[in-house]
Amino acid sequence: MNEVATVAGAETGPFEIRDYLRLELMPHFMCPGCGHGIALRALLWAVHELGIEKDKLAVVSGIGCSGRVGAYIDANTFHTTHGRPLAFATGLKLARPDLTVVVISGDGDSLAIGGNHLIHACRRNLDMTLLMLNNEVYGMTGGQVSPTTSEHRLTTTTPTGNVEPVFDACRLAAASGASFVGREVTLQAPALKNLVKKAIAHNGFSFVEVMSDCTEIYGRKNDLGESPEMILSQKADMRPEAFGNVADQPFRPHRLATGVFAELDRPEYGAVYRAQPAFRKG
Amino acid sequence: MTADTSLDEPAEATREASRADRPTNILIVGVGGQGVIMISKVLALLSQMHGAEVKQSEVHGMAKRGGVVFSHVRYGKKVWSPTIAKGEADVLIALEWAEGLRWLDFLRPGTGVFVSDTRKIVPPFACRNRKFGADRAYAKETPAEIVSRVGNGYVLDATGAAEDLGNTRAANTVLLGALSTTLEFPAEEWENVIDQFVPKGTQEVNREAFRYGRDWVEKARRDPAFGLSDANAYEAPVLLPGEVDVELEINETWCKGCDICVKLCPERCLALSEKHKATLKNPAACTGCRVCEWLCPDFAIRVKRTAAAEAAE
Repeated sequence: MNEVATVAGAETGPFEIRDYLRLELMPHFMCPGCGHGIALRALLWAVHELGIEKDKLAVVSGIGCSGRVGAYIDANTFHTTHGRPLAFATGLKLARPDLTVVVISGDGDSLAIGGNHLIHACRRNLDMTLLMLNNEVYGMTGGQVSPTTSEHRLTTTTPTGNVEPVFDACRLAAASGASFVGREVTLQAPALKNLVKKAIAHNGFSFVEVMSDCTEIYGRKNDLGESPEMILSQKADMRPEAFGNVADQPFRPHRLATGVFAELDRPEYGAVYRAQPAFRKG
Repeated sequence: MTADTSLDEPAEATREASRADRPTNILIVGVGGQGVIMISKVLALLSQMHGAEVKQSEVHGMAKRGGVVFSHVRYGKKVWSPTIAKGEADVLIALEWAEGLRWLDFLRPGTGVFVSDTRKIVPPFACRNRKFGADRAYAKETPAEIVSRVGNGYVLDATGAAEDLGNTRAANTVLLGALSTTLEFPAEEWENVIDQFVPKGTQEVNREAFRYGRDWVEKARRDPAFGLSDANAYEAPVLLPGEVDVELEINETWCKGCDICVKLCPERCLALSEKHKATLKNPAACTGCRVCEWLCPDFAIRVKRTAAAEAAE
């Protein structure tokens, strides 16, 4: 795997997560064993290794358990409305191109309520990174079915098992035009950190699907075991292989692939936008 | 520009073989991915071009994760057996140090030439004790000892040289350069055949690597002290027991007792306390691998290691 270069001149020492947290808010509100914490560590670790200053980092998050993740980061954070973090982030990035914009969103937040915002953000290819924390359920509101809930799984709104097919978010993002698409599991924390690092360093819209666990609600209802069993099951459910083309995968693969699926060199929206004659005159 | 073909000494390996009118035996050993097969292909084609009969046999099946790869190449007027018997190899080329030692008794006593990379690839099973600074079950013999034991020994840091030339993968070509000095084929032909086997775009670096290996042996022949100059290159730093220190800092206020660290610790040295908080049950077993720190969703575990332990990583 190629190492991503750090910001010029930045000296990054050992990673100390406390330097990046709002300590007065800790311990965080997430349930025991929730994978979102591991994803948050991976994001901060990547930010540290890239040498991005906290003042130059803007984290935008939506609503849901994933929406609260951003609040613990000691940087510029922006807690927005349900499904709309990408819309807010688009405005932010266009107004302040100097900021590194990272959007943290959940599966329901970005695929259901914010589905339209997701596909158009992918299409525009503005330079920002979306971390979609996929725990297959709406955990905060009590465990309703989400677009990524696996078939036959029980949720409060599917008491006899989910019958809807699952959304493959990576295929959606790649087909909509995201220039960087990847997926990783929380169990492989260092690999997840490397993927996030690549995604942030990529110039264009980066979509990263993080397979997370909802232990207290989804895991308990479906009898998936305690937190350790759930995180270890990721090993069996995932294939650590990158597919050149996500379209080659079956729509509902039995085992999900992880790795980088797309890394394209497409025109970045912010640069294109600022190159317009009207923009230059103003 | 080609390398100087007029060496001080004639091709020593083939001298003896041609006198006895028997095939020349060359054994190439290494681990997966180093280019053992590439060396044997170059050798086979080159000897074929000179009208010799060639037999080559190899084992590379288990090599994907650093497993053993070896290849027997025999060429001459008439070759019967495809493999080399113990004590009959004229040249033993080792792309990895311990592999070279493992096959050392295949070398013809007295006249055999030993060409080896001094770089060590330590397989995981050589680290039986996973603690920092623990003793490794890896060959202890120094290159100087081995050179004194074999008839002709050339031990060079081929990987380091290839790295300096800009492509670590050219290490096998450095050793090919060293090998070429012991065989009768002219240098230009070696280079042309190597060009055919290396990936496109790497021809130039492979030519440089080849010349480096050739020049290295020439220098070593003139100056025995130079021949041992690479012998101790790239030794892993040795840690004394007192210098290694791993400490686990567990923040009980942040810990929610999810049990992930307890179940996923490879050494099983953590446990949940009565208050349902993670505690270090067996500090002596902790190796400081950081898995608990990476996977703690609540950031409650911090692995602190001394500077010496960090440097050894």
